[in-house]
Amino acid sequence: MSKIVLHLYIAGQTPRAERAISTLRRMIEHELAGYNCELTIIDVLADPQQAENQKILATPTLIKSAPPPYRRVIGDLSSVTDLLNVLNLPPQS
Amino acid sequence: MIPIETQPRPTAEDNLRAIVSHDADGAIIVDSSGTVRFLNSAAEKLLDRHGAELHGQIFGFPLVVGERAEVEVLRPNGEFAVAEMRVLSIVWEGQDALLITLRDVTFERQAEAALREAEAFSIAILNSLTSEIVVLDKQGKIVAVNEAWLEFGRQNGVTDLASIGVGADYFAICAASGPGTGGPEALQGLQAVLAGQLAEFTYEYPCPGPQGMRWFALRAVPLRGERQGLVIAHNDITAQRRAAQIAAEAEMLREQVRQMERELVSVEAISRPDEMVRSLLAPLRQRDPERFQKGLSRYGELLEAALASRVHRTPAPSRPLRELGEWLGTIWAAPRDLIDIHLQAMRERSQHNPPKKLQAYFEEGRLILLELMGHLASYYRSIAAGELSSRESE
Repeated sequence: MSKIVLHLYIAGQTPRAERAISTLRRMIEHELAGYNCELTIIDVLADPQQAENQKILATPTLIKSAPPPYRRVIGDLSSVTDLLNVLNLPPQS
Repeated sequence: MIPIETQPRPTAEDNLRAIVSHDADGAIIVDSSGTVRFLNSAAEKLLDRHGAELHGQIFGFPLVVGERAEVEVLRPNGEFAVAEMRVLSIVWEGQDALLITLRDVTFERQAEAALREAEAFSIAILNSLTSEIVVLDKQGKIVAVNEAWLEFGRQNGVTDLASIGVGADYFAICAASGPGTGGPEALQGLQAVLAGQLAEFTYEYPCPGPQGMRWFALRAVPLRGERQGLVIAHNDITAQRRAAQIAAEAEMLREQVRQMERELVSVEAISRPDEMVRSLLAPLRQRDPERFQKGLSRYGELLEAALASRVHRTPAPSRPLRELGEWLGTIWAAPRDLIDIHLQAMRERSQHNPPKKLQAYFEEGRLILLELMGHLASYYRSIAAGELSSRESE
C-alpha cells in the first residue's frame, strides 16, 4: 500500500491554520486510519523560501504529492468530506 | 447592392472576459486541476506578480464551505494580504473551469483586530478597578461589566451570572426590586442622567448579604462617546457608614448626658474637697491612665454581660453597675470620663464585629451609660448630703 504524503502550508498560527490542522489530524486518525500517512506542516512566515520554491500563492494550501494524482487544494480546509473528495482519498487499491 | 460588413456578435465568453478583466476584485480562472488559465490586473496587483509568470502554474483547487473562505495571499517580498475568496463554476475556452474572485480585506481585518485590542484594553482597565462597574446602553441593557461586579454577584449567591452580565436589563432589575429597596429611586435617577437632566446621579442603598447588611454608593455618569449610555460605579461604603453611625451615636450620647452633666457638676462642686479641685480638672484618662483602663475593663465586662442577657432574654444584674458607678465616684470621675470610657469601649468593638452586633452594643451601651450616670449622680448627691448635714451640725 502506497504512502499518503501531505504538505500543509500555513501563514502563522491563525484560526484558519489551526482549523485546517485539526481537520487534517481528524481525517488521518479516522478516515485514513488504515493508511500510512505523512503530514508535514510548513509555516511560510518561518520558511518563506520553501513556499517560493513550491510556488505557494496563498495559504492555507494542502498538497498531496503521493499517491498520484498530484493535488493542490486552497481555502477552507474544515470539511473532511470535501477534502477526501478533492484529494481522491482514500486511494483506490 | 452595397455589401454590409457586420461585426461578429460577442459571445458569452467574450462578455465574461470583459467583465472579469475590469473587475476591481482580483479574478483568477483555473481549470479542474487548479492550473491558472487567466488572471486580471487586480489579481496581479494583489499577488504582486506578473500574469505571464503565473499563467499555466498551479494555483490550487479552491475549497469554499458556504459562500466564501478567507485566505492569506503571499507576495514575493514575504508580505501577505488577507483576501476573501469566492468561487463560481464557469465554462472557459470551452472547458469547465472555476472563477476565483479575491477581495482584499486586509484593512478590514486589521481594523477589526485593532478594535478587538482596544476592547480588550478597555476591559482590562475596567477589571483593574476595584469598584463594581456596569456600563449600560440607552435602553438600560448592560453592555459591559468588570470582574469586580461579577465577583460581587458570586459573593451574594448569584448562580446565573448571565442575569447580571452583558445583555441583562439593568433598568428592569431596578424596577422589579420593588419599593423600599431603593431600586425605583435609582431607576429614576439613572433615567434623568440618560435624558441629560442630571450631569450625574449618586445614590446610597442598603444591600443585605451573607455577611450582614452592607451599604453601597451608586454613581452614574453619561457614557462619553458616540454611543449613548451610562457608566455606573458601585462602591462599598459599609465602613464609612459604620464610622458615621459611631460618630452620630457619640453625638447623641453627648446630647443626652448634657443635662445630667449640668446637674452633676453642681453636686460634684459642693461635694469635692477644695484642695482637690485644681488637680481634678484634667480628664481621668490623662490624670490616672491606670484607673481609666480599670474602669474601661469593668465597663466592657458589664457590656458583654448585658449583651448576653439580651440574647438569652434574662434580666441584667444591676448591682455590679451600681458598684462601678460608686467606684468611679471615689476616684472623682466626671460625666465626660464616663462618656470617654463608653466611646473607647465602642471603638474597640467596632473593629471586628458585624453591623448587627455593633448595633446591639450601641443599644445596650447607651442604657448602661445612662444608668451609670445615675449611679454616679446618686453617689455625689449622697456625699453632698453628708457634707451639708455635717456643715449644718457645725
